Amino acid sequence: MTQSPDFADSRAPEPEHAGDTSPAEDTRADEEIERLRTLLFHRELLLLEQLRARLDSPDARAGDVGSVLAEALVLSSREDDRLKMAMEPLVDRIVKESLRDNPHEFSESLFPLMGPSIRKSIAESFHAMLESFSKSMETAFSWKGIRWRLESLRTGKPFSEVVLLHTLVYRVDAVYLIHSATGISLASVMNEGAQSGDSDMVSAMLTAIQDFVNDCLADGKKEDLDLLRQGEYTLLVERRPAAYLACVIRGTPPADYRAHMRACLEYLVMEYAGQLANFKGDTGPFDAARPRLEKLLGSRYVDEDKPLPVWTKLLVAALIVACPGGAGYVFYRHSENVARAAAEAERRRSFHADMLASVDLLRREPGLLVIHVAEQPAGDTPSSTASAASPDSSGQNRDMQQERTTGEATSPAAPTDTTTLSGHTGQNRDMPPESATGEAASPSAPAAPATPATPSGHTGQSPDAPLKNADGTPWNVVCLKDRLARTPEEVLREHGKDASLFRFTLIPYVSYEPDMVSRRVDLSIQPPENVLMRFADGIIYLSGTAPMDWTLEARRKALTLPGVKDVDIRELSDPRTARLAAMIREVQGASVEFPLGKDVPVPEDMPKLTRLVDTLAAMQRLAAEMGMTVSLTIYGHADAVGSVARNYEISQARAKVIAAMLYARGSGMPLALYGLGADYAHKSEGPDQSSRRIELRVHLSPAAVPELNFITP
Amino acid sequence: MLTKKICMLGAFAVGKTSLVKQYVYSIFSDDYLTTVGVKISKKNIVVKGTDMNLVLWDMEGRDAYTDVNVSYLRGAMGFFVVADGTRRDTLDAALQLRTAALDMAGPIPHCLLINKADLAPDWQVTREDVDRMRNDEGLTTFATCAKTGQSVEESFLALAEAML
Repeated sequence: MTQSPDFADSRAPEPEHAGDTSPAEDTRADEEIERLRTLLFHRELLLLEQLRARLDSPDARAGDVGSVLAEALVLSSREDDRLKMAMEPLVDRIVKESLRDNPHEFSESLFPLMGPSIRKSIAESFHAMLESFSKSMETAFSWKGIRWRLESLRTGKPFSEVVLLHTLVYRVDAVYLIHSATGISLASVMNEGAQSGDSDMVSAMLTAIQDFVNDCLADGKKEDLDLLRQGEYTLLVERRPAAYLACVIRGTPPADYRAHMRACLEYLVMEYAGQLANFKGDTGPFDAARPRLEKLLGSRYVDEDKPLPVWTKLLVAALIVACPGGAGYVFYRHSENVARAAAEAERRRSFHADMLASVDLLRREPGLLVIHVAEQPAGDTPSSTASAASPDSSGQNRDMQQERTTGEATSPAAPTDTTTLSGHTGQNRDMPPESATGEAASPSAPAAPATPATPSGHTGQSPDAPLKNADGTPWNVVCLKDRLARTPEEVLREHGKDASLFRFTLIPYVSYEPDMVSRRVDLSIQPPENVLMRFADGIIYLSGTAPMDWTLEARRKALTLPGVKDVDIRELSDPRTARLAAMIREVQGASVEFPLGKDVPVPEDMPKLTRLVDTLAAMQRLAAEMGMTVSLTIYGHADAVGSVARNYEISQARAKVIAAMLYARGSGMPLALYGLGADYAHKSEGPDQSSRRIELRVHLSPAAVPELNFITP
Repeated sequence: MLTKKICMLGAFAVGKTSLVKQYVYSIFSDDYLTTVGVKISKKNIVVKGTDMNLVLWDMEGRDAYTDVNVSYLRGAMGFFVVADGTRRDTLDAALQLRTAALDMAGPIPHCLLINKADLAPDWQVTREDVDRMRNDEGLTTFATCAKTGQSVEESFLALAEAML
């Protein structure tokens, strides 16, 4: 930082009077110095004088400021808003005061500007009002108008909607510019009166649907969706890698509309190349693209037929009056044509409804998921293709038509390239059991196509001849099909429908519908006759009787199948298990008694002993069948009579007798023998036959049937 | 106006859709989740004085047998992964999805939401799990509740701030 020098200090010091000079000399010296100063600084002094004069003159200062004011304002406004903030209250006050003091002058000044604007606005309003009035008068009092009124009453649609439906060729309702990678709406414009959802959400969902279609139908190839159709609405998509344009159009757009879209998109992609490449979510820069998008908004209505000149009408009237026969003939022909056309239209409508009913049957069939229907208009001649309008203008058909291309747009007239995605909300995929099975069984399909009441002479066909699709082209239907589901042809045949009117493309998939899961399990485990199977909430319930090894295998298999969460076998029993349990109970409950001091059973228990040995042998065989082995523990007992040592000895001998009898019968059953003496005698002293006994315990291994190992006598 | 695409990922039935239902605006029904596999919603928030539109792609739940639809992640600028605190396996699924999403979309901001905070006593996800993810992996984590709305707004704000 520099410091400005102190002007006072820089001045020369005042000469002091030495006291040795006279006043006259001083005066002379001053004059000389002054002269010298004048000589040296004459020019500078003149300049200083001029500057002082300018500073003292307000006019001059104003001139100086005025010459740099404009530049100063520009510089200041560039730097910050201080000047604007300083000026704002001042200007505001000035304008208000001026308006209050001189309103007349202001109105005079503004008139050239406001006048034309107001006139123009009023003229436009009048023009619109007159046009609307004229249209209303025209439609209200014409035959067509009355017909449309009746249609409005019949369908419940507003009259304006009916008029729009009949007069509209096309109208572009909305145009979206969408960032390809993120699906974010960069800019969008709407036609006045059009209804549309939030542009951000519509753009994102459209992008999601395109991804979905690509994933599902493009077979790994990168193909783009460029047309969707629903009822009278068409959505055209034109894309470049960075962004795409989507236009929602009501009616049929002109053939060159896509070319306009392409040109517009190319311009925008070039114009905003930088912003698109570095897009981070800021849509602000794209607001400037709206005027260009608005150029794509447009509409066209049906040109009304020019009325016949008055003289022609008079001539026709005169001729009709002059020739009553001719008039009658004309009237007859007219009536006949009208009736024939109505019958033909009705026949086609009925045919189309029947085709839709067939598709509906497929939609209800378990294991079939209709994802794609390309409708063809009904017709007898190829020309009907060109004139066929959307077959379902009532909006009931919620299908979206998709045209897949790899670059250039294909003609919408190529029916084999068109695809329709079902707007069906996944009813087939996750259908509850009652609707999946119940509806399929209900004969809800309408009857066969109605036959016309009057002959259709103009087609050269028999009136009862069944209608075909235009050009004989079948409706393309793409279905996902579970391996176990019936084919579409089988379904249609069962309901008496003509499957040849369709061409089916079947894509394999695994259905989680209860019917399909149940059928899959049934095929896999093949339950025997005594087993009942039920499927609910992802769980297979098995009940009845079946061998244990089958049960375990069936459970293992069922759990590997898609859609099965668990297998409940609590209600399923093995008949052998019950038999084996009965045998174990019998063996363990048997009691063989012995005489005092003997190891041979009492005579009356001998048959019991023989039967027991038989049962043990049978039990061993049954257990072996079930994959188990049996082992036996034999406990010998004595009563309290005799010494302890003798009692242990005799009880041991009693256990051995049974073992010996088993060996004698050829049983290889593992045995364990215990002589328990009088430890478990029923009486603590004295002889007691019931205490002189043997007891048996059965052991099964491996423990595949745990409950059997806990059976107690 | 800033508009950001964010995705919502998580296992089946962890409560993704319920979690945001009260806090976002949508013109689409939940049926889109089962048909197209995604439902679009929108939320407008102001973060540090910046007005921001969040376009939320709520993706259908993923279980062990299905893969996440990576197409829907394309262009995402942030995402939430949601787990159910009462089911430990959903946390594992959430972490797998997080890895898949980062592979697909690159290192973009994201948050882990552990839902069903109202059932905290039944949680199988432990505090140690959460601390480990916060400390070791630097994962922003919120314990949320669809019923009470606990931490829902906060999580949106946190993600939005990270995307600024």
